[in-house]
Amino acid sequence: MAEATLDGGKKSDAFVLTPEKLRRQRIARFFGEGFLLLVASFVAIVVLFIFYFVAVDAIPFFQQRGFVEFFSSTNWYPADEPGEFGALAIIYGSGMVTIGSALIAVPLGISAAICLSDVLPFSIRQYAKPVIEMLAAIPSVAYGFFALVIFAPLLQNYGGPILMWAWWLIAGPFVILAVIVVSDLLTSGDKGGANRETMRFIVTAVLGVLAVLFLYWVGKTLNAIQILSGTNALNVSLILSFMALPTIVSVSEDSLQAVGRELREGSYALGATRAETIVKTVLPAASSGILAAVILGIMRAIGETMVVWMASGNSSHIPDPWYNYLDSIRTLTATIAGDMGEADQVTGSARYHVLFAMGLLLLVFSFISNLVSERIVVRQRKILAGE
Amino acid sequence: MDLGTRKILDRSFTAVGVTSILLMAMALLVVIVPIFSNGIGAIFFKGTIEHRKLQYNEFRKGNPDVLQQQITETDSYRNNAFSIVEAFEAEMEGMEPGEKKKEYASQYTSVRKILAHLLGPLPGDMEPILLRYQYGATRWEKAEEALHELMFVTKWDYSDPTKMATQYFVPRADEFAGTALADLFPYMENNLEKMLLPEQTFYWGFITERSLDAHIFGGIWAEIQGTFFLAVGAMLFAFPLGVIAAIYFTEYAKDNFFTSILRSANSTLAGVPSIVFGLFGLAFFINTMKVSESKSVLAGSLTLAIMILPTIIRAAEEAILAVPKTYKEASLGLGSTKWRTIVTVILPAALPGIITGGIISLGRAAGETAPIIFTAAVSVGATIGLADVFNSPTPALSWNIYNLASEHEAANEIRHVQYGMVLALISIVLLLNLSAILLRARISQKLKG
Repeated sequence: MAEATLDGGKKSDAFVLTPEKLRRQRIARFFGEGFLLLVASFVAIVVLFIFYFVAVDAIPFFQQRGFVEFFSSTNWYPADEPGEFGALAIIYGSGMVTIGSALIAVPLGISAAICLSDVLPFSIRQYAKPVIEMLAAIPSVAYGFFALVIFAPLLQNYGGPILMWAWWLIAGPFVILAVIVVSDLLTSGDKGGANRETMRFIVTAVLGVLAVLFLYWVGKTLNAIQILSGTNALNVSLILSFMALPTIVSVSEDSLQAVGRELREGSYALGATRAETIVKTVLPAASSGILAAVILGIMRAIGETMVVWMASGNSSHIPDPWYNYLDSIRTLTATIAGDMGEADQVTGSARYHVLFAMGLLLLVFSFISNLVSERIVVRQRKILAGE
Repeated sequence: MDLGTRKILDRSFTAVGVTSILLMAMALLVVIVPIFSNGIGAIFFKGTIEHRKLQYNEFRKGNPDVLQQQITETDSYRNNAFSIVEAFEAEMEGMEPGEKKKEYASQYTSVRKILAHLLGPLPGDMEPILLRYQYGATRWEKAEEALHELMFVTKWDYSDPTKMATQYFVPRADEFAGTALADLFPYMENNLEKMLLPEQTFYWGFITERSLDAHIFGGIWAEIQGTFFLAVGAMLFAFPLGVIAAIYFTEYAKDNFFTSILRSANSTLAGVPSIVFGLFGLAFFINTMKVSESKSVLAGSLTLAIMILPTIIRAAEEAILAVPKTYKEASLGLGSTKWRTIVTVILPAALPGIITGGIISLGRAAGETAPIIFTAAVSVGATIGLADVFNSPTPALSWNIYNLASEHEAANEIRHVQYGMVLALISIVLLLNLSAILLRARISQKLKG
């Protein structure tokens, strides 16, 4: 660059790049970028530190007590002398509420995501989004308070009727739909003829009566159930599913959006209805992204503390029978939160370190599921990009 | 399949989708509506004269002359009730010892207890030490509950062993029929209002006053302030770090293995369960770094900061990426350096988006409980000054909601305080989120032009 003149012919070297200036610039850039890199790697350092410090306090427990008792015994008496540290029932409780909340949140979340991405017009979608954001924003302790103070007494006093109505409202429409579809499929072999209409009518009627009887019988059985304690696995699973829903909805919606218009239009052109297009074309293409969404949602449920601490009943046993969601349970997170208050005084004891062992278990689980979901998303992006 | 069936399936598919969205909206309402409607009761309620006495004695609020006048007014009715009680005591003295007397004595003890609960210490009682026994029912609906308890004895029917026991009530007046105390019950029922003088009260002090006697009376200012310190402290650490990291990721990071490791570290951090942050905060900030002797606001803020860091980074990245490429190109084309472009062009354009992310993270930090259990929160505590944040713990809304609802000795008595706290916390968080949503709507309008 040549000399530049400014201010009435006065010479200025403001725009001249001397080697000296260039060097200074390069050094400044080097340190600047180095600083940025340092800050950006701070997150990675924090992750390493978390693993290290949780593991350092967890290892003494396994040194003292070994692995067998922790993973295979259900006797959890940490306060005794000598204590018993069997966490199997607690791990089971964590798994139980996680599966329970996934059973509620996954179908609900995926259908909501489909609805948001493919069914609703844009103007309505704008109002649905804040609802999901607000569900995600409500603090976990507020959900826990709701579960403990409002929902648990309801469940305890009106548990049977609540279950019965839930069954009728949810299963009813699906069973009726199933009757229509099955009777259609059963009679579709008989092509044409007036016979078919009557056949179909008869089959539908018979199946319909059977279905209503079935609905009624299950409803009556549910109505007779008396729930002894409102703070149980069902309560927690339901509330946790509220908390996992926003994650599942937003991640699977992203993945559904990522499936391009071309696939959808191709399917419509072949004469498929919207439902068929989504189920047979869009969902398979987005399946891996939805799987990632489910994993992320499950992680929210398993790592949640306050709701399970307040509303799960905190009793460390495997429910009897094993699938009894109306029984109280105890989870890893609630145990850490609840026992640290007393164990804190005795730093160095197995009682203190066992809580870190539980934390490590949660940490490892969340790390693995995170990696898996990330891999899945990357793979889907590559497949959709046609690589 | 039949075309008709296919159509039905298609319709029901749509119906399922719409229903699931409606269910989510309903879930939100089902959680929020009872909390709002009950939480308002912490501020608007029918306050009795006991509430006004308490307010005057503890906080010097209210008009002493009016209060004194009302006290004399109520005392005349109260004294009538007390004289009935005294008459009964005299009658009991005269009774022969035996089963009957024992029965009366035990019943009478519970009557006295309920009376004290309604009206404050009775004549002849010792001056109680705990504040909760120094005043009667401060809220009219609590007084009505206590009155029902006074009027009826609760009994349980165990006659059907196959079912749970059912509750039934026996009028207490029947138990004391024929004694002097029998007159007390109709008298209390008719004159309770005159003894307590309930008035519609707007108790703003619930927000601004300290709590008295472990939240039995008073407000929640200490908790609100603690939540504020913790959340703002977390932002002070996390916001600058997050924005700088986002600048690195969007503008400088090369697409290589190292960057991908940093990115997956970010999403790992976002997925760490909140209670594990608490464990880490205890093990690292308190036990290893010793940032404070034991729990402190500083340790809690640091723990919350690393928890919200990934959210801030992600939001800032998105905001920076949303800035149109033309801005950057124009700036670079004018000859400014990359760093100058970032500072003077890209960041100002991305700022509203970055702030949106910051606000949402602030709400998350304010609402989170698990990370502060071991690092910052105490159940009962006074308000702390700004200078104390380095070494003293603080009560916080989120932790005290848990504590009052599950561990407080009188959890059932102070439901209104709990609801009020939940309402305060939810209002803070939802208002923050609402402002973020509005801000974002404005940005997207601006970007559309």
